[in-house]
Amino acid sequence: MDRNLLKLPGVKFLLLELAFLTVIQSVSIILAATWLAKVITALFSGEPLQEQFLKMGLFLLAFLFRYGAASFQQRLAYRFAERTGTDVRKRLMDKLFQYGPRFAKAEGTGNLVTLVLEGVTQFRTYLELFLPRMISTAITPALIVIYVFTLDIMSGVILVVTMPILIGFLILIGLAARKHTEKQLKSFRVLSNHFVDSLRGLETLKFLGQSRQHSEAIGEVSHKYRAATMRTLRVAFLSSFALELFTMLSVASVAVNLGFRLIDGDMSLLPALTVLILAPEYFLPVQMMGVDYHATLNGKEAGKSIQSIINRQEEETGSSELPAAFAWTDKSILKLSSIGVQYEKEGQLSLEHVSIEIQGTGKIGIIGESGAGKSTLIDVLAGFRNPSSGEIILDGIRQQSLTNDAWRKETTYIPQHPYLFNVSLSENIRFYKPDATDEEVKRAVSAAGLSSLVERLPNGLDELIGNGGRQLSGGQEQRVALARVFLSARPILLLDEPTAHLDIETEYELKETMLRLFENKLVFFATHRLHWMPHMDRIIVLDKGKVAETGTHQELVAHKGVYYRLLTAQREGII
Amino acid sequence: MKREEWIGLYLRTHRFRFVLVIFLGLLTAGCASGLMFTSGYLISKASLRPENILMVYVPIVLVRAFGIGRAAVHYTERLVGHDTVLRILARMRVRLYRMLEPQALFIRSRYRTGDILGTLADDVEHLQDVYVRTIFPVSTAVVMYVLWVAFVGRFDLSFALLMALYLVILILVLPSVSLWITYRKRKQMKRGRNRLYQKLTDAVLGLSDWVISGRSQNFVQSYEADEAKVTSVENSLHRWINFRTFLGHLVVGVLVILTAGWAGQQFADGKLEGTLIAAFVLVIFPLMDVFLPISEAVERIPQYEDSLERIHSLRGMDSEALSAECKVSDQVLEEAQKQAHIRLENVSYRYEASDERSVSDLSLDIAQGKKVAVIGRSGAGKSTLLKLIQGVIVPEQGKATINGVSVDQFGSDIPKVIAVLNQRPHLFDTTVANNIRLGKPEATGEEIRKVAKQVKLDQLIESLPLGYDTPMLETGDRFSGGERQRIALARILLQDTPVVILDEPTVGLDPRTERDLLQTVFQTIQGKTLIWITHHLVGVEQMDEVVFIEDGRIEMRGSHEELLKKVPRYCHLYHLDRPILTDI
Repeated sequence: MDRNLLKLPGVKFLLLELAFLTVIQSVSIILAATWLAKVITALFSGEPLQEQFLKMGLFLLAFLFRYGAASFQQRLAYRFAERTGTDVRKRLMDKLFQYGPRFAKAEGTGNLVTLVLEGVTQFRTYLELFLPRMISTAITPALIVIYVFTLDIMSGVILVVTMPILIGFLILIGLAARKHTEKQLKSFRVLSNHFVDSLRGLETLKFLGQSRQHSEAIGEVSHKYRAATMRTLRVAFLSSFALELFTMLSVASVAVNLGFRLIDGDMSLLPALTVLILAPEYFLPVQMMGVDYHATLNGKEAGKSIQSIINRQEEETGSSELPAAFAWTDKSILKLSSIGVQYEKEGQLSLEHVSIEIQGTGKIGIIGESGAGKSTLIDVLAGFRNPSSGEIILDGIRQQSLTNDAWRKETTYIPQHPYLFNVSLSENIRFYKPDATDEEVKRAVSAAGLSSLVERLPNGLDELIGNGGRQLSGGQEQRVALARVFLSARPILLLDEPTAHLDIETEYELKETMLRLFENKLVFFATHRLHWMPHMDRIIVLDKGKVAETGTHQELVAHKGVYYRLLTAQREGII
Repeated sequence: MKREEWIGLYLRTHRFRFVLVIFLGLLTAGCASGLMFTSGYLISKASLRPENILMVYVPIVLVRAFGIGRAAVHYTERLVGHDTVLRILARMRVRLYRMLEPQALFIRSRYRTGDILGTLADDVEHLQDVYVRTIFPVSTAVVMYVLWVAFVGRFDLSFALLMALYLVILILVLPSVSLWITYRKRKQMKRGRNRLYQKLTDAVLGLSDWVISGRSQNFVQSYEADEAKVTSVENSLHRWINFRTFLGHLVVGVLVILTAGWAGQQFADGKLEGTLIAAFVLVIFPLMDVFLPISEAVERIPQYEDSLERIHSLRGMDSEALSAECKVSDQVLEEAQKQAHIRLENVSYRYEASDERSVSDLSLDIAQGKKVAVIGRSGAGKSTLLKLIQGVIVPEQGKATINGVSVDQFGSDIPKVIAVLNQRPHLFDTTVANNIRLGKPEATGEEIRKVAKQVKLDQLIESLPLGYDTPMLETGDRFSGGERQRIALARILLQDTPVVILDEPTVGLDPRTERDLLQTVFQTIQGKTLIWITHHLVGVEQMDEVVFIEDGRIEMRGSHEELLKKVPRYCHLYHLDRPILTDI
């Protein structure tokens, strides 16, 4: 059993409750069996029906008690699973926001969302099913078999002997099945993904003129998939086959054995009937465990992945001494001292010994080839990533990273594809400043050059945008992001390739708006579009993670270094 | 009707297998019931201490046979059931594919959001459960019900009638009530969960904004509030299911007593052998294991409905897709495969009658071998223009022709004349060689190596341990964006058409990769017609004509040199891509 389960808050008390209810349940099972056997024996020996009503009533009572206790158990387990699920989800969400966007990207948005929604649900199902099953497997068969021994030793022996054989077979078959699946896992994955892969590639197939013929391939692969699945199932179903076979054989042996001894007169009908009724109950908990095995397996795995994220060693955030009231002013100084960033241990450094000092406002261009570390530097400055070495000195306060709220609330960030939430346009613009007045929003809209778009929208500023709403073009999306920045009036602006994907006319039109926005701010602008550089007050040229040179456009051109080479490379035509 | 089309159809085509599955299901239940019935009979009979052991020989054999039989039959039943369902799944997949295939080029524009294709594939997968979890168990239970009532009827008709009526509670009443109670709740829960899904996806995609805005806690709180709503529905659902299970057992408990009373009375009246009392009472338990799960099977129905509706909503679209059945003569096609002169004469097109024109009065004359760059903002009409050239849509006004033959006449033969390299060509989950081979299925290994060399990937591929047999997906990271485009380019070279369309293949690539890729493209498609949609001006010097499109019309056109000389605006734009060394 999973050790982590015992660490869950409140689990021990729950197990106690479950155990108590299981004992009640087992006793009820035994009582119900006894009363029913008594009724049948009495009727068989010719006693009148009227005299049996009390026993019948007692049977029904015990029978209902049994299922009442089971129902109560289910409820308890459900409530516990629900509480734990909520708790786990909360912690997972907190971590998600704490680790930020780079973590989300590395793990994959889809994976994370699935883990929070499906994973937590599966984990809950696991708790809900596994805990009561485990307890009843531990208690019920034992109590029943002890009672059977008091009635008939031979039957007790048959039942006791069958259990280890059964479990032994289950383990053997389980191992064989795993080996079998592992062997064909690879081809299996390809076969099972083939259909969705084909659908996603439909457009490409169409362009290649292969889409018609491909439907035959789908039929063919689906049949191969069926054959492969059936091969696996033939082995996988063996475990429930063994479970049923041994249960049924054991019950049959008990029955036949009882029969022989009844003929010999060693035994009377009442205990024999009781034992016969109890025999299937003895195996029931194990059978239920087998039935739910696969449902609980997924939940167990999901629980593990969730735990691994929650328990992830906190990268040292270096408790920030930055006062919450920190504000970036003209006199503020930010100093990066020998900053290094390494994505994986022993991997290549993405940034190496980067030292920069910046004061007050100004436009800083960050350029370099792809892979030079532009985005990584922006990530460090935005507080999305902890540097692995070096330190940052902010107004004389030393810290390990900028991942604290006091710094973040001074910054805004515009990526290549700013994300538009699926809410109204005005709510999107208000994102950094939810309490902004309509007047302020309107000003931001016109400053970002969105006025004409707003006029054309049927619902104006209340138009729903984002996924599921009205689609905006890349240029319009950037303008919404710019409007956010205009409205927020935060002093520091970070941009990561905001125009790389835009068509040249749109970029040309945006340029004016953006340059206006940059005034009186501290701007970090990472791009490979070199035409922005003459407008920058200072350019940081990165090359393979290191600062190659810094200076103004003119200085760097005159210097004829890395920057000059980048410029000339882009001027070359294509042969 | 919808259910009929996607579910009933396969019940008919696979009816023998269905009958087999249900027969095996009955046999499984029969063995379990038989075991308890004969066991009860056996020990009752044995307690009478018959003189000869042979008196109980038959029941002893039966007990053992049922014991072994039940496990073996159940095993077979499950295998046959899954095999049947997988056969149906194969058919459903082909059918769904054939429905989607004609509208392949419209799917992306129709469903801009989400992964509709992935969802559809999942939907078909989910329909398996209709059979395995609902139809099989319910049909088996209903037939078992009839058989059991008939069996009891052989002993006592009036009790059989009572049994028949009483069991209706388990077969019909409880499932219907349960479905009625849970239906709305399950729908509510599903909607709630979908909303949660969207909300969370939205938040994760916009995570950087939440983090920087310092409002993460607001989000977490509002998300948890929504979760709590869904949980409370789920909670009441669970309470009902728990209660329903208990009710089911209550029904069973009472039935056991009724049966015992009936058997006892029958015995007292001398109508029934005493040895059958235990048999009848004990058989109730395994029998009810067949009837109790009906409620659960029926409650699943709302889960299938969404999938069915989504698949069905596709049907509305295929009438719109063009019938690709028109054919040009082999001679025309052969000619076009050598030389294709594309001509658009004053074409106009709008998607909906109410929309503005996407393309308006546009003319282009592209002789074989000409190279044209098309530039415009998003929504300017570039993709409509491409669809017109490919003959996927027919112009409202004007003509689109290849060698004088209307383009749409080429129908599904158009890929023999025009190849397309778009922004994100799909690379399939198979080997590198197979991916390249898609351009020409009969291509030899030699041909594949030749095109790989042309696109300058030969060294990279040969350096991989499995070479050309390297699976594409597992090396997803090994092939960069530029390399993936090169593989797609190799495919197009094998396709060997006179016309190549490039639909912004370099978006998202860094400047150097972009340059290198374009250089390779221009080198390898010498002599072919090139229609290149691009978002900026890198490489336009190589083009014979540069066309700017705005609002579906041509705004400016000419060769690079002409435009540079005559149009100041072009000059401006060009310098964004070619920063000059001093100042701008």
